Amino acid sequence: MYYITEGNFAVLLDGLKTEYDVYVPVKKDKQRFYKKYTEFSADIVIGEVRAFEPLKSFFSLARGIVARGFSPEIPKLCEKPLCIVGVKACDLKGFKIQDHVFNDHDCPDSAYRSLRQNNLIISSDCTLCIDTCFCLSIGLKPYPQEEFDINLSQVSGGFIVESGSNKGKDLIAKNSSLFENPKSHSITGKNEARAKVTKDVERNIQDSGVPYQESFENIIERNYESKIWEEEANTCVECGACNTICPTCHCFLLYDQKNEKNMARLRIWDSCMIKDFARVAGGANPRAKLWMRLRNRFDKKFDFFPKVAKTYACTGCGRCISACPAKIDIRKVLKRLVGDAKR
Amino acid sequence: MQKDKNIYRSIEAKVVAVISETPTIKTIRFIPREPITFKTGQFIELTIPGMGEAPFTPSSKPSVKDMMEVSVMKVGKVTEEIHKLKKGDIVGVRGPLGKGYPLDEFKDKEILVVGGGCGFAPLRSLMYEFFERSGQFKKIFFRGGCKTPRELVYRDETQEWAKRKDLDFKITVDKGDDKWKGHVGLVTAILDVDMDYKNGIAIVCGPPIMMKFATMKLLTMGFEEENIYLSMEKNMSCGIGKCGHCRIGIYYACKDGPVFTYGQIKNFPEIWD
Repeated sequence: MYYITEGNFAVLLDGLKTEYDVYVPVKKDKQRFYKKYTEFSADIVIGEVRAFEPLKSFFSLARGIVARGFSPEIPKLCEKPLCIVGVKACDLKGFKIQDHVFNDHDCPDSAYRSLRQNNLIISSDCTLCIDTCFCLSIGLKPYPQEEFDINLSQVSGGFIVESGSNKGKDLIAKNSSLFENPKSHSITGKNEARAKVTKDVERNIQDSGVPYQESFENIIERNYESKIWEEEANTCVECGACNTICPTCHCFLLYDQKNEKNMARLRIWDSCMIKDFARVAGGANPRAKLWMRLRNRFDKKFDFFPKVAKTYACTGCGRCISACPAKIDIRKVLKRLVGDAKR
Repeated sequence: MQKDKNIYRSIEAKVVAVISETPTIKTIRFIPREPITFKTGQFIELTIPGMGEAPFTPSSKPSVKDMMEVSVMKVGKVTEEIHKLKKGDIVGVRGPLGKGYPLDEFKDKEILVVGGGCGFAPLRSLMYEFFERSGQFKKIFFRGGCKTPRELVYRDETQEWAKRKDLDFKITVDKGDDKWKGHVGLVTAILDVDMDYKNGIAIVCGPPIMMKFATMKLLTMGFEEENIYLSMEKNMSCGIGKCGHCRIGIYYACKDGPVFTYGQIKNFPEIWD
């Protein structure tokens, strides 16, 4: 465990800039967005809460060229390796699903794999929660426990730093002059901050009544024929915002385009809520009705992924709740599913 | 470490023949720039450059590596473009994708192959494999159906099949015409054959509705759920279990199929839709 002052952390980021494309969360109005780091500015927020956009936007790009012509070459998705700063625990869990799909699979996506292999993840504890946060119910804590290179816990004047990988250890060793041993009051500060934000999320969960994942077993199977789906899908406008904003949703479509000389294959984020998602060329559509697609979305998250990747494809980040124009609330759906399952 | 391979890239291929099978089905023969080895039942994504891809199971011999054929029914955007192809045109091929038929598990068994309409295409490749390995299987029955005699694919070839000693071959049409002397009716009406259903293998490929009723019939005849092999038609796009479109329960039709036993998928909803 180490301590780094805010000033030294800025020096560290300045150094990383040469090797990496560094992205930091900045605050604009009430939201936090990732911005490419140029210099340490006042709007940078290392603590607080997860950014607006999910982490996948760096690694599986909303719209990216994956093949040019018939060339076997792998198109480069970015020039330098990525260093993402201020990543929260919920977003790190998103990696579990994205990696399962694009990396750990027997047929890896090489572009994704190289981005992930070369990336540097500087995560950080949440120092506050917003009313849509429910990470605890998905088995996470509001502070990172795995999947990071180094983690920052904001304390007075700087950060407590922990390494989570060899890459993180090397980074600290290489920049040892910037780090110092933590004072006991800093460590106490970190622990107190963690306890406080955990309590805040607990209170959130109590208020919304969202169940804990221990009660999720077979909730889809048991509610397959339930009216819940039709009722919850009633207001859905099929915009797909819940999919695009979700850190675990990974579905895409391959789209070919050409001009006079060149052709390219693009991989574009897709949404399982859209009518033609599973339609075949002959016209058959296994999920012609909107409520079937809503059920499918939950099926994928709470039945498919626990079976194939041993984890629920939800991080409790709450993005889909704020993104939905129809006010479909995953917490309420889960509550109904668990409630109905118990009956 | 695994060599970095671009999983989304198509291999260039040159169209060498276009055969009109029926008013709506054409067979495209092409030569890929790099040989493609496939197992019968595996599929490929055929690309019209710049237009898009569509999945097809080759209808040609798996043992021929430098030439491939697919039989394509005109049903959508990409297939419409495929029907416009001429000799000399360039297409793209990506694959092979998915798992093939587990032929070794069929050894020394009686096999009933049931085909419908364009479902004859993958089955032709399978039949070639059976013919090449003739003697390894106890007995092979082929029962096929299509709407009208005009819609029967591989007409000349199947007439030759009918003469083979290692195959019991019968086809039916839903509606005959003046020249048709064969059976008239649904394929499910000609499935009773002289074999031990309980220990036999059934292989079904055709339109979803036909597969559904054929499966139901095969089950009542006594076939085991685990011995009924179905070719699932789903929206297979990436072909490698990533894009999410073709999910059936815990499987992806592309990666884990497209051939599944009925036992594997029977509990998942929407399988026939």
